[in-house]
Amino acid sequence: MRPVLTLLRQASHLPVALACTALFVLMVMTFSDVVLRSAANAPIEAATEITRILMAIIVFSVMPVISARGGHIAVDLTDPVFARYRLGRWRDAAIHLAAGLMLIYPVRQIWVLAERARGFGDVTEYLAIPQFYIGWFIALFAGATALVLIGLGLLHLFAPKMLRPA
Amino acid sequence: MTVALIGFALVLILVLLRMPIVFAMGLVGTLGFVLERGGSLFSERGMRAALSMVGRQIMDTAQDYGLSVVPLFILMGLFVNKGGLARELYAASNAFLGHRRGGLAMATVVACGGFSAICGSSLATAATMSKVAMPEMRRYGYSDRLSTASIAAGGTLGILIPPSVILVIYGLLTETSIGQLFIAGIIPGLLGIVFYLFAVRFTVWRDPKSGPAAERQDSGERLRALGQVWAVLLLFFLVIGGLYGALDIWPLNLTFSPTEAAGMGAMGAFLIALARGSLRFRDMVEALRETAFTSAALFAVLIGAQIFSNFVNLAGLPDALVALVTDNAVSPMTVMALILVIYLLLGMVFESLSMLLLTVPIFFPLVTSLGFDPVWFGIVVVVVTEISLITPPVGLNVFILKGVVGDVTTGTIFRGVTPFWIADIFRLALIVFLPWLVLVLPQSMGP
Repeated sequence: MRPVLTLLRQASHLPVALACTALFVLMVMTFSDVVLRSAANAPIEAATEITRILMAIIVFSVMPVISARGGHIAVDLTDPVFARYRLGRWRDAAIHLAAGLMLIYPVRQIWVLAERARGFGDVTEYLAIPQFYIGWFIALFAGATALVLIGLGLLHLFAPKMLRPA
Repeated sequence: MTVALIGFALVLILVLLRMPIVFAMGLVGTLGFVLERGGSLFSERGMRAALSMVGRQIMDTAQDYGLSVVPLFILMGLFVNKGGLARELYAASNAFLGHRRGGLAMATVVACGGFSAICGSSLATAATMSKVAMPEMRRYGYSDRLSTASIAAGGTLGILIPPSVILVIYGLLTETSIGQLFIAGIIPGLLGIVFYLFAVRFTVWRDPKSGPAAERQDSGERLRALGQVWAVLLLFFLVIGGLYGALDIWPLNLTFSPTEAAGMGAMGAFLIALARGSLRFRDMVEALRETAFTSAALFAVLIGAQIFSNFVNLAGLPDALVALVTDNAVSPMTVMALILVIYLLLGMVFESLSMLLLTVPIFFPLVTSLGFDPVWFGIVVVVVTEISLITPPVGLNVFILKGVVGDVTTGTIFRGVTPFWIADIFRLALIVFLPWLVLVLPQSMGP
């Protein structure tokens, strides 16, 4: 099991690198858009739609990773109580499983929306990029997030030792 | 209205059970929506409507053009951090204030204010300044109580003095001009600095040993130190000036949208850090990575909050609140006082963004129906949020300090922060009773 977790950890660098690249491109593009508009009266016309796509990439590509690392914003006020009664593990298992399972429905819905966009042939305004690619991307990474959360929940339940650093 | 209130209670319980805020709000919001639309929790019609709303919300929020300002401002703050600008700000304010009793703590507050003008996050301001100011104050024998408290409190200014990520989100949420909100934050931010300076004075008056004076610097040294802060001024002028049309002159002819201002700020900070040789490739990747993580976590909360607020709106809570207040002829100031008390209480449990997202959609219609100005309310909400950052038990800035400094207890920091907290309450009262302080700038020069 440990090799699988190590492999997953290694693989998580890929979406993070994707998000970093998207963010850097967003910064440079916004800057270039302004400079070109000012200096050459030639703004990047597709800037708005590229920004939208880059945002989806930045936000969703790291979603499985932050879920795996417990990076979601949460309140830990009651931690000492759970620790005192040794309930932390059960609580974490329940929360991860609930969060992962509840994500399945929206993921399916996003997939349906993407397929609908594919059926209608929806494309972006300037670059004619098919809309369903964005839908697929979001559904894929939201689905991965659900799997990560369910996996973590199961590990908390059945193999809590695996979650401690080797 | 009862259903919405039960929903609130459920969110609070789930959050206290340590469920991430996005899932607590998302779950309750979805189930509440099913109930309101379908009449029962098991209604298929309700389920279809709720899932359709949730799917759309996720897709739309992740691709919202307006929200692209959030990662760009976060990135700007991190590049600014790498560029060593905080050190220069601290050196400059130190040159003028360091020789007074408690002067280094005063310099910390002023430098935090300056740093807030190029950074949109309170946590980033506190984290950055603690690395710069804490060693210096320790060197001069400042008490941990005063030194950590001045940074934790000074850091809260990050979300009030423009640019501010929280004000951007408030603006997008309520369709209030982000430009006007930014400019409105300036006077309350400066007031914050002045009040915190009094809090430092008070602390050293009570305990003179807590902040001994450092040596005085001559005017030549002061001018040199002041000259070093050009990069900060340049960035502030680029971002805020650009937003306000100060660059709309020949041959530039530039006025920025908030996203463009943030993009220019991030790129400017990146170039400054690069030019100074303080940004290695590894640092750049680290800044990008941290920004992506922070933004994704913020967007997740945003999505959860929007799902929850769709349910609350469907359940008619905002309208019911307006009706309740009008029917009982409650005076607007009483309502405002109640709202502020609720904020102060929620601030003890929630972190800043979640609190804002959870409450603004409900209070905003009520507040505007009572004739309060939306820009003014935005600033009031941000000031209360600032207070929550240093309020026990979860004052996040205090925990940031604890994380960076290490060998000091949160109890010590919270005790040290008390005079600053009281100063904040005075500032809040001033802003509530004198809305003019907030509105004079946006009304006279707003875009």
